[in-house]
Amino acid sequence: MLNDKIKQLVETCIARISNIDEMSANDLQKIKSESLGKNSELQNMLKSMRDLSPEERPAFGQLVNEARKTLESAFAEAEAKMKEKVLNEKLQKETVDITLPYQSVSCEERGHLHPVNLVANEIMDIFKGLGFEVLEGPEIETDYYCFEALNIPKNHPARDAQDTFYIAEDIVLRTHTSPNQVRVMEKKQPPIKMLCPGKVYRSDDDASHSPMFHQIEGLVVDKNVTLCDLMGTLETFAQSLFNEQTKARFRPSFFPFTEPSVEVDLTCSNCGGKGCKLCKGTGWIEVLGAGMVNPKVLENCGIDSTKYTGYAFGMGLERIAMIKYGIPNIKLFFENDVRFLKQFR
Amino acid sequence: MKALLSWIKDYVDVDVDVQTLCDKLVGIGFEVEEVIYLGENIENVVAGRIEKIDRHPDADKLIVCQINVGDEMLQIVTGANNVKEGDIVPVAKHGSKLPNGMSIKKGKLRGVESFGMLCSGEELCITNDNYPGADVYGILILDKDTPIGMDIKPVLGLDDYVLDIGITSNRPDCQSIIGIAREVAVALGKQFKMPDYSYTTDNSTSVNDLVNVEVSATDLCPTYLMAGVKDVKIAKSPLWMTRRLKAVGLHGISNMVDITNYVLWEMGQPMHAFDHDDIKDNQIIVRRAQDGEQIVPFDEKTYVLDNDVLVIADKERAVGLAGIMGGRNSGIKETTKTVVFEAAEFRKENIRKSSRKLGIRSDSSARFEKGVNSYMTRLALARAMQLCQQLGCGTCVDGLIDLSVKECKKTLLTFKYARIKKLLGISVPKDVVINILQTLGIQTTIENNVVSCLIPEYRDDLERDCDIIEEIIRVYGYDHITPTLLEKASITKGGKTKRQVYIDKAKEVLTGIGANEIITYAFFGKSSVDKLLAPQDSELYNLIRITNPLGEEVSCMRTTLVPGMLSILATNQSRANQSATLFEFGKAFKPHSLPLTELPDEVETLTIGLYGKGDFFLLKGIIAFMLKELGCEFDVVRSKETYLHPGISADIIVNDEKIGCFGEVHPQVAKNFELAQTTYIASIDFDKLSKHANQAVSYKAIAKFPAVERDLSLVVNDDVAVGDLIKASKQNIHILEEVKLFDVYKGNQVEQGKKSVSLSFKFRSENKTLTDNEIEKQMKKILSTLQNNFDAKLR
Repeated sequence: MLNDKIKQLVETCIARISNIDEMSANDLQKIKSESLGKNSELQNMLKSMRDLSPEERPAFGQLVNEARKTLESAFAEAEAKMKEKVLNEKLQKETVDITLPYQSVSCEERGHLHPVNLVANEIMDIFKGLGFEVLEGPEIETDYYCFEALNIPKNHPARDAQDTFYIAEDIVLRTHTSPNQVRVMEKKQPPIKMLCPGKVYRSDDDASHSPMFHQIEGLVVDKNVTLCDLMGTLETFAQSLFNEQTKARFRPSFFPFTEPSVEVDLTCSNCGGKGCKLCKGTGWIEVLGAGMVNPKVLENCGIDSTKYTGYAFGMGLERIAMIKYGIPNIKLFFENDVRFLKQFR
Repeated sequence: MKALLSWIKDYVDVDVDVQTLCDKLVGIGFEVEEVIYLGENIENVVAGRIEKIDRHPDADKLIVCQINVGDEMLQIVTGANNVKEGDIVPVAKHGSKLPNGMSIKKGKLRGVESFGMLCSGEELCITNDNYPGADVYGILILDKDTPIGMDIKPVLGLDDYVLDIGITSNRPDCQSIIGIAREVAVALGKQFKMPDYSYTTDNSTSVNDLVNVEVSATDLCPTYLMAGVKDVKIAKSPLWMTRRLKAVGLHGISNMVDITNYVLWEMGQPMHAFDHDDIKDNQIIVRRAQDGEQIVPFDEKTYVLDNDVLVIADKERAVGLAGIMGGRNSGIKETTKTVVFEAAEFRKENIRKSSRKLGIRSDSSARFEKGVNSYMTRLALARAMQLCQQLGCGTCVDGLIDLSVKECKKTLLTFKYARIKKLLGISVPKDVVINILQTLGIQTTIENNVVSCLIPEYRDDLERDCDIIEEIIRVYGYDHITPTLLEKASITKGGKTKRQVYIDKAKEVLTGIGANEIITYAFFGKSSVDKLLAPQDSELYNLIRITNPLGEEVSCMRTTLVPGMLSILATNQSRANQSATLFEFGKAFKPHSLPLTELPDEVETLTIGLYGKGDFFLLKGIIAFMLKELGCEFDVVRSKETYLHPGISADIIVNDEKIGCFGEVHPQVAKNFELAQTTYIASIDFDKLSKHANQAVSYKAIAKFPAVERDLSLVVNDDVAVGDLIKASKQNIHILEEVKLFDVYKGNQVEQGKKSVSLSFKFRSENKTLTDNEIEKQMKKILSTLQNNFDAKLR
């Protein structure tokens, strides 16, 4: 008898709150207090328990409690729906006529490019003037373009130097912009003068490294291209980017895709070569890596290495920006605080 | 590569100071990463003789020593109990410094003056490897022949330098003292001499009597050599040897083991010493491991191997992981009587793979990974035998087991002399070329303008003319290179691609209206898409995963730039930056299928975000400005993007194609990204936009006749879009130049559910002045269109 009553109570209540759409939040609240509140029928039934025999009480108590739980979860669900409905109604009410004419745009001060792109643009402008085309390549690369074609075979120790993010066995996030050298040379016979800016990735994240950063790569392949041309090009570039007095210095180094390979130092833009904190007293700052394109790479791309020579260089744009603007920490580039961004022009 | 200066000096005469030497090495391509002086931080410590010891008058545990330090007698109070009169000990005088950071001053101990301190080995940061007895608890007792008053650093062998030299991966031959010494000789223009590797043998026994070797995996082991030593006396190595090992980061174990380490460092050839008695049936087999085979190397862990791992085995079991670590079952111990040395060349790729797979890295595997040379293998084995004889470790037996699949010889490389100038751009005189190459050990002649080079066996990196030319210029000096600017190269046209030009144009507009450019990481976590309330089947969930990410939140390539922009806006809000208008260009990565089998599409995407000033219509204005500059017109329709406010958002339609969307950030999304202020965002597929962009401009004549304006106020239903009214008015009326909205009114003056819209119409003809009549006619037409289509009423 009582069991049926409880069952019916629950069913009626659930039926009452089943149609949220036609109800207000207040309605729902009211039903809730009627069904579960102090003076609710359920509470009254609980009070009536004292009329039962001690044997009957536990079973009945459990029944009422179960009913309460069922109702509570039904209300929780209804309330969530109600909340969504109220939000949607609010959003509905806020609806604007999106076809209205736009606001005229004015501003107190110009915005600026990100310092990395500011530097990239400056570099591209310099090299465009020297006849370089800007050609971009994919950031997700095949192992072949990123390594093999550049004379870095699998299991070669040179791969240790670049902590690679892998997507699949033969697909990587490019660790440098050099793969685009190969892509361009495969498609095009000399003369080639190209510049490739872009994002590169290495699994390295500490105070002085960011897992994503930017490089710009330069490549020239033609008849009669020499190491002296590389030196001249980079010196011209450095003088345009920093100042007229800037000199370049080569130090022997090794990259699998160039031979000879050099590290290029520039006279310190801060002290002009006298020696300061920035250049650790040496007067020189290590800025980029370069070299004469390894004939193996030319051959991999179908270019006659007996006829053509070439040079390639690559540099980190964050590093250039840090030197040029005196930015102390690579992390600042990716925090994008407007007070930082506004400073560069 | 750590190289001890005195060790280098065994093989080349170094007559310059350390700094000059380092500069010279850098000049020829060897970066000196660190110079460590072994006696760093030991100052004013000398050898002194204890002439007299008295009890301390007031302390039972202290003694008072009178010490002769050469030029004076010092009274020093000490608590040590291992000294006696006549002992020579290290004396830290007043004002001295010790490597553990202590500085010693004179003072009084329980009322008795003390002018310094006697030092233990520990206080001098040395071990038995540096000086016998250094590990003893108590004062270090020096040899009784030590000169009184002598600085302690040379006494302990600490007056020496370790150069930590960066070796590029093309020069594995320089991963050794002799390799460095060879380059030092080149840098200083000195003669290099090889270590002594001659020894005599006892002909009564042959190594073939000791072991029989079989190499079954010649693909992984092209060279395998063995030599034997009998009547072995295991003992400590001499001080000069343990000092050198200590200086480069090793330590002395026993003569036979130390010799293998010494040769590894000196010659760059990993060696292994087997206890002959542990080799079952005198049989050594170099073979691939069986799948599941187990081994316990020196590190005492058990490793389960597979067929790709090379092992050294006897008849029954593996006795070593080839090139990585010896087995515990066959190593040198105090009871060892007969030793067989192994020197081999194992394939570097295989060692690298196995070492990584098993997670064991040793000095040996590190060296093999870089590549060893079979020529050096022979010299190294001979050097080990010579050292055995020199140290009196035992008797060298006759013979050498030599299983090599290739012959080791010098190779001839020829190229045209003109090639040097062709690559470098400068001429290097022939005699200079010959001279440089000779000092590098490359026998060279130039005849008929052809350079012929005989490449030494240890220079595997010299394969082509450009490799030789690099050798020439690095020694000749890069300062000979004179800058030229592609004078003989072709003229080429520089420039950017169309897309780049469009991007530049867009950036120009955006910065012009005060927006700053941001750059965010191209990876994010799946939760970034969740936060956008994207439906489960959204293509934003087609995430390309990085297999070795730095963390879950940077584990996927972004499919949208929106989370990056919202996070940066939130950062700026939390830093109390009152307002910001930002934009970003970057790639969104869209795979064709997952997991990735081909490269995905990289979609150039533009996001614009703003808060603090402006609203939906300002953002619309920014987009309109930009699109106009790119030669595009656009329409808006209500957007269904889940991350945008449903009532304050729009899709951008150009030529019937959706190219993006913009609007207020959905309040729930704003909460997810912790955006405290109302924020607006746009996301545009710039590749799609670029297709519609049009840079062609053709001149239109400037109007000669005056314009006439008319206004119209209409009442329409609230849900009629003003844009639709304007569009409809323009239809079929070619003299209508412009329609402008000047007011929208809702309130008491108009019926509920309606609004009043006031429009201004501007008419102009290209060839005459318009009359009132003509304009009235057109206005009627417009009114009737609006009445018919929108149930508009004149107000």
